[in-house]
Amino acid sequence: MTQLADRDYFTDYQILKDPYAYFEAVREHGPVYQPEGRDFLIVTGFEELLEVMRNSADFSAIIGLQGAALPLPFTPEGSDITDQIEQHRHAFHGGDLLVNLDDKPHTNMRALVNTLFTPSRLKANEAYMADFADRMVRGAVAKGAIDLVDEIATPFVTWVVADLLGVPNEDRQMFMDKIREAPCPGNLEGDMALDEADHPFAVMGAYFAGYVFDRVAHPREDVLSELANATYPDGTRPDPADIVKLGMFMFGAGQDTSAKLLSNAMRYIVDQPGLQARLRADPSLIPALLEEVLRLEGSTKQTARLARRDTSIGGRPVKAGTRVLLAIAAANRDPKRWDQPEAFILGRPRIKEHVAFGRSAHTCAGAPLARAEVRVILEKFLEHTAHIDIDEARHGPAGARALDYEPSFIIRGLSELHVKLTPSASFTPLEPAPADAERKADTPAIAAISTGDTRLADLLDNPSARELIDRHFPGISEDQRIGMAKGMTLRSIQKFAPDQFTDAALDALDADLAAIPAQ
Amino acid sequence: MPSLVIVDRSGAERAVAAGPGLTVMEVIRDAGFDEMLALCGGCCSCATCHVHVDPAFAGLIDAMGADENDLLDGSADRDANSRLSCQIRFTPQLDGMRVTLAQDD
Repeated sequence: MTQLADRDYFTDYQILKDPYAYFEAVREHGPVYQPEGRDFLIVTGFEELLEVMRNSADFSAIIGLQGAALPLPFTPEGSDITDQIEQHRHAFHGGDLLVNLDDKPHTNMRALVNTLFTPSRLKANEAYMADFADRMVRGAVAKGAIDLVDEIATPFVTWVVADLLGVPNEDRQMFMDKIREAPCPGNLEGDMALDEADHPFAVMGAYFAGYVFDRVAHPREDVLSELANATYPDGTRPDPADIVKLGMFMFGAGQDTSAKLLSNAMRYIVDQPGLQARLRADPSLIPALLEEVLRLEGSTKQTARLARRDTSIGGRPVKAGTRVLLAIAAANRDPKRWDQPEAFILGRPRIKEHVAFGRSAHTCAGAPLARAEVRVILEKFLEHTAHIDIDEARHGPAGARALDYEPSFIIRGLSELHVKLTPSASFTPLEPAPADAERKADTPAIAAISTGDTRLADLLDNPSARELIDRHFPGISEDQRIGMAKGMTLRSIQKFAPDQFTDAALDALDADLAAIPAQ
Repeated sequence: MPSLVIVDRSGAERAVAAGPGLTVMEVIRDAGFDEMLALCGGCCSCATCHVHVDPAFAGLIDAMGADENDLLDGSADRDANSRLSCQIRFTPQLDGMRVTLAQDD
């Protein structure tokens, strides 16, 4: 039988359940190990992992989303494959998404992202977050038993980031539904990439395109306006399509990881003896709790790098073209770095140096948001409950929990966590939700369809409208390049292709569209 | 290429070439000064890229924002020349500027 360290990290469901045991078995072979029969390295050592993350000159981030197991789309030649990587960037999963970028394109995009979740912005947004969290948690406590993942964590983080970015109210429910149906990044059961046309995130990308182009023309007080109108450090303007990809990526990257952090944290709160009482008595300990949960069970188990030059890790020579799995979950439990690494200890010295959010150039830019939003909602859970328990009928008793995890090689997150909530003495249930009434009032009445009011995607969904578009603009409905623009109206697209979409041509189409009934 | 002079915690100094479009933090980090943690990656959310800037260049660097000021307040090593290096964009006018890595908090 294959020993644990040589089993397949990317397909083995036992490893999915307990990646920690697997990484410990790998660690026994040293901080850098090439499993039998595999052609990639696994780094489990804290120092060695830092060494790779810091060495962006020799290591490319290009395989961050597709992982270390997948073969490269080319045969590496020579001691420096930087040019080969750039030539094939689009053949990699999410090759042009922020997490996978290198060098100047990365530095440029990163400069835009760095200003998004500053302390002052998060503070300004905290009242909204707290109010939203309060309503969600009070609803859950009144109900008494919930699936934390599906009913709270995912919708909460989606709503918070949608609000920060400036996604219109009427579109948020659609975003939530899309995120719910989207597989986690690093899905074990399929290799659908975030940028594939049918992926739910690509569908959201179409909406983002609409927002971004709208913000270029009509800036508002929101993050998307800031991004859409930003300049790179060298003074050049980002291509709006890059901002669309960035917005999409922020949903893709931020959602699962933050949502999973909440449920992972809740499991420790319930299962560590005495912890919830301690946190209720002193909620200022929540940030320390989060850091220790991030270390022990952060939402990202691993990331990956590709050696682009002949180099070394921990003194071991590494050839250009070598794929490297960086085991974040293992580095955060490296006994050379952490005293009693398996133990949950609140307030460890230098805890913030864990690598749950990575380190160096690719450090997670959403970390401040994740920390703030999960803290805020945990405060509400502790405030409104006298006791929180994990549902034993669903998950078994403490010490022998039966838990299922998202089938992802990247994400460490529970697929569900059923909890029972005992109200606190001061708990008051929620007034009938004004939010629903508000949301309905926000939804515009269904208007007649036109090139000025209806998104291209909606026009194409309407068979009669699609037929008219095909007649007026042959080939457009099948044009792959139009993908990202589907979230825009044709009148907005006109600004980018005025020769193709003349006023006269759009007026003619409008005259025909007016004759078909709205759906 | 313009250069930045970096003084590490032991007092040793080294001039490094500073590419265009980078922040002072990125220049220090990419030059391999690992004792500067820069934990948040440049998001103005921690104070682990704290440096003391040569006062002669004070008039040439980006002004300090409120978030940066608040974060620096948490550092015992703060003085009149303290800055978070992620908040200073390196420009050719800063050629030869000397920054000293602040003591670990």
